Amino acid sequence: MRSSRTYVSAMLLAAAVSVVRGDSPSPQSAPGNAAAKLPYVYTKWKQYTIADGLPNDHIFAVKADGPKVWVGTEDGLACIDKRTGKIQTWKEKDGLPWKVVTALDVDKKTGDLWLGLFGGGLARFSGGRFDHWHQLNSGLVNDVVYGVAIQGDNVWAATTAGCSRFNIKTGAWTIYNEKNAPMEEIWNYGVFASEEKVHLAVWGSGVLEFDIKTEHWKEYLDPDGEMEIDLYRDDGLVHVITTGVSYVEKAMWVSTYFGVCRYDGRHWRGFFAHESGIPSDFNNNLAARSAQEAWFCTDKGLGACMDFDSDTWVAYTRNNDGTGKAVVTKGKEVLEVVEGPVNVPQSFIICAAMDGNDVWIGTGKGLAWGIGEGYYSRVKERAPAGKPAFRSETSTSKNGGAQ
Amino acid sequence: MRRVVLWSAVVTALLGLGLITAAASDLPGVKWPGFLPFDSPEIQALLQKINDLKYYQAPALPVKKDENYAATSTDVEPFGGLKPFKEHFLLQMEYIGAGRSIPEPEHVDAVKIGFIGPIMSTVSVATGGKSHEEALGIQMLSGSRLAIEEANARGGYLKRKIPFELVVSNDNGLWGSSGNEIIKMAYKDNVWAILGTIDGANSHIAIRVALKAEVPVMNTGDSDPTFIETNIPWVMRNMGDDRQQAYLLVDYLYRKLNVKKVGVIRSSNRYGRFGIREFNDGSRRLGRPVPIEMAYKLGQDDYSLHLERIKKADVEAVVHWGDAAEGAQILNQMRKMGMDQPFFASDRCLSEEFVNAAGTNAEGVICGFPWNPDRDDPNLTSFRERFRKRFGTEPDTYSAHAFDGMNMLIWAIQVAGLNRAKIRDVVAYLPGAWPGITGDIVMSACLDDVGDVYLGKRENGRWKYYSRADLGIPRGYIPPRDRISRTQ
Repeated sequence: MRSSRTYVSAMLLAAAVSVVRGDSPSPQSAPGNAAAKLPYVYTKWKQYTIADGLPNDHIFAVKADGPKVWVGTEDGLACIDKRTGKIQTWKEKDGLPWKVVTALDVDKKTGDLWLGLFGGGLARFSGGRFDHWHQLNSGLVNDVVYGVAIQGDNVWAATTAGCSRFNIKTGAWTIYNEKNAPMEEIWNYGVFASEEKVHLAVWGSGVLEFDIKTEHWKEYLDPDGEMEIDLYRDDGLVHVITTGVSYVEKAMWVSTYFGVCRYDGRHWRGFFAHESGIPSDFNNNLAARSAQEAWFCTDKGLGACMDFDSDTWVAYTRNNDGTGKAVVTKGKEVLEVVEGPVNVPQSFIICAAMDGNDVWIGTGKGLAWGIGEGYYSRVKERAPAGKPAFRSETSTSKNGGAQ
Repeated sequence: MRRVVLWSAVVTALLGLGLITAAASDLPGVKWPGFLPFDSPEIQALLQKINDLKYYQAPALPVKKDENYAATSTDVEPFGGLKPFKEHFLLQMEYIGAGRSIPEPEHVDAVKIGFIGPIMSTVSVATGGKSHEEALGIQMLSGSRLAIEEANARGGYLKRKIPFELVVSNDNGLWGSSGNEIIKMAYKDNVWAILGTIDGANSHIAIRVALKAEVPVMNTGDSDPTFIETNIPWVMRNMGDDRQQAYLLVDYLYRKLNVKKVGVIRSSNRYGRFGIREFNDGSRRLGRPVPIEMAYKLGQDDYSLHLERIKKADVEAVVHWGDAAEGAQILNQMRKMGMDQPFFASDRCLSEEFVNAAGTNAEGVICGFPWNPDRDDPNLTSFRERFRKRFGTEPDTYSAHAFDGMNMLIWAIQVAGLNRAKIRDVVAYLPGAWPGITGDIVMSACLDDVGDVYLGKRENGRWKYYSRADLGIPRGYIPPRDRISRTQ
C-alpha cells in the first residue's frame, strides 16, 4: 500500500507540474492496468488551421449544426462540412460586415446563422446574404458583441455595454442594462438560452438569470463580495468576473478567470486548479453537455469535467515538444495519463461546442475536432489506455508538427 | 527591491548553468536613458526565453509571487479573522497563447502605439453626465506625445530606423465607445501597444477588448483598484491606485491623528464609488466605521443638503473622493456653513484647478497622491523643462505618468521587436525597477505599481508632499506570508 500511495503521490505531483507548465509527459503513462471507473477520453482528433482552409487561426467561436460546423475567427467566417471535409469561407470582401467573429448561434426554426461581431455589431447569414444590425441602425446597445443566443423568436446579444434582445418577428428591440436589470456593471460577456431561462455572464456582475415567462431577473454574485479572495468554498459563485455560463438539465455551469463552478438550484460547487483536474483557473469560456459534463476553455489547456458526482476530469494539453496529452484525474488524484499525437493544437483554449458525441475546440492557433467514437457519458469500469492512444487524423503533417 | 534581487539571482543562476547565453543583440551597447543597455545579460536572458518559440510552446519564464496582496496590513484585510479558501492576485498571470510565434511584418513605415483618453468634450454616461476629464486627458496625451517625439529624436525604432507614431483616440463617448476605439486601434491601425485611459469604466471596457485582441495596455491614469483585479495578463499600470492612497489616509487619520469619526462625501460616478471603497472598508475594519457617506451628482452646484447631514453627524474630519471643481465647491460651502473640520481628498483635488477655486480655503487641505513631485531628481527637473518648452504649460501627474508609461512601452518595443506578446513579456518581466521621472516603478505580480504613495498638504500657498516616513505614520502588520499559508 505504501508504494502504491507513493506512486500515486508522485504521479499527482508530476502530472500537476507537467500540466501547468506544458512540459513533456513523464515516462510513466498509466498507473496500472487494473480496471477502474474511468471517463471516456477523446483519442481521435483532427486539427484545422489556415493550411486546411480556415480564414484565420485565432478561433473565437464555434457552432455545430448538423453536418455543418460554423467557425468564427479573428479574420473571417468558415463553414466546415463534416461529410465532405470541404471548408467554405467568408471575409469582408464576401459581404461579411466585419472580419472579427466572436459569437455564433443557429436559429433552429429558420436555419439562419447569427453572428456576433467584435466591434461590428450583429449579423444574420441567410440564403447567402448577410444582414447587418449595429448601434446606428438598430436597438443594438453596443457594437462590441461577445455572445449571441437564440431563444424562441428572440436573438440575444451580449455586448460590452449591456444586452440587447431582438425579436425577429416584430422587429422590436429591448435593451437590458443597469436601468432595468441587476447589473452593477454592464459588461456582458456570455449569453446562454434554454427553454425556460436566459443566462448572462457579466463581468463584474456575476450571472444574471432571466425567467422567460415572468421576464424577471435573478442575480448570482460572489457571496463574500471581495475581489482578492474566495472566502469559503462552495458558498456560491466563485467570482463576479464571469466569462461564460451554460444551463443544461437544470444545472448551471459558470466559467470565470478565478476558477469555475456549478449550481444545481440547491448546492454550489467550485472547482480550482489546485484541487481539481481543471488545468488552470483562468477560463475563457465553457460548453456543457449535461448536468454531469462540462468543458472548460482555460489558458493552459482544455478541462473537461466528465463526471460531476465523482469529480472526474480529463485535461487535454499540448506539450512543449509538440505531442498531446490527456490527464484523467479524480480530484487531484491522477487515474490515467494518455499520451500521443496532438489533441488540441494549442493549449490556449478560447471556445468549445458540443456536437452529439463529438466536441469542437477553438484555440489561439487552430481548431480541433474531437471525434467521440464509442463515447460514453460519466464513468465506467475499464482498463487504463495504453500508449500511444491518440489518433490525429488530418493534417497532422501540416498542423500537428507545424512550426 | 526584493523582486529585483530575486530576478538577478535567477539570471545569475541561469548563466551559471549555461542555460542562457549573452546572445548578440541587434542593438549592441545601446542604452536607454537611465536603464539597462539592450544587450545586458538580464535582457538577453529574457529574450532567449521568448524568442524562437513554436506556437504551442510556453516560455520557461519565472512566475513572480507576491507575499502579500497590495501590501495590505492584517487589520484591514477583508474578513481578517478568517483564513480564506483562496487568495487571488499573488501569482503573476502568464500568457500561454500563440502570439509569440507571429512573425514581424516585413514592411512597416512607422511603429504605431495607441493612445486612448478623454480629450474631447462630450456627454458620457460612464463618467456621470457631461464629460469633465478632458483636462486630465490632454495632459496624459501631452506626456505621451513628448515621449514619442523624444524617442523619434533618438532615432525612432532603432532596429528598422523608422519613427514611432501615436494613434490618438477619444474615449469620452457613450459608455462602450472605448471598446470600439480599442478594436479600431487593434485591427485597423494595427498598433503594437496601447496607453490609456482615466475613467474606470472605460478602462475596464478597453482591457476586455485588449484581452481578446491580444494587445498590451499600459494604464497611467486610472486609480480604480479593480482595474488590475481582473487577472488579464495583457494589462499593467504604472501608478499607485486608490487602494494605496486610501490605506495611507486611513493610517494617517486613525493611527496617527486618532480621529474617531470621519464623514465622507463623494461623486456618484465610478471614480467616487470605487475610489472610496477601500477607505470605507479600512475605517470599518479599524473599528472606526464611517458614520455618514453622501454621494452627489456631477455638475451640481449646491451641496447644502449633503453638508447639513454631515454637519449633524458631528464628524471630526471630512474626506472627499471626486474631482477638483466639485471638491473646491464643497470645501467652500463647508467653510461658509461654519464647518471647520480638516478636509481630506483624493488625488484629483491636488491640482491648480482646486486651488484656484478654493482660494484661501485650500490652505491645510490634505490629499492622497501617487508620487512625490518635489523629489530631488535631475531627470524630473529636466522633464519639467522639456515639457514646458514643448507645451507651454506645467506637467501634472497625468502627463508625468503617461511620459513614464509611454517610455516603458517604447523601451519594450525596442527590446522585444514588433510582436505584441513579446512586448507584453518584456514589461511583465521587467528586469528591475523602471527609473521613471515619477520615481522607481516596481511592478507587483499582477503588474500594478505598489510603490510608495504620498500625502500632499497645502502649506503656505504651495503643495508639500510627505511620505509615510516623513510624517511618522504607523501602519499595521504586513505579514511575509500569503493568507492561506499563514499559521496565525
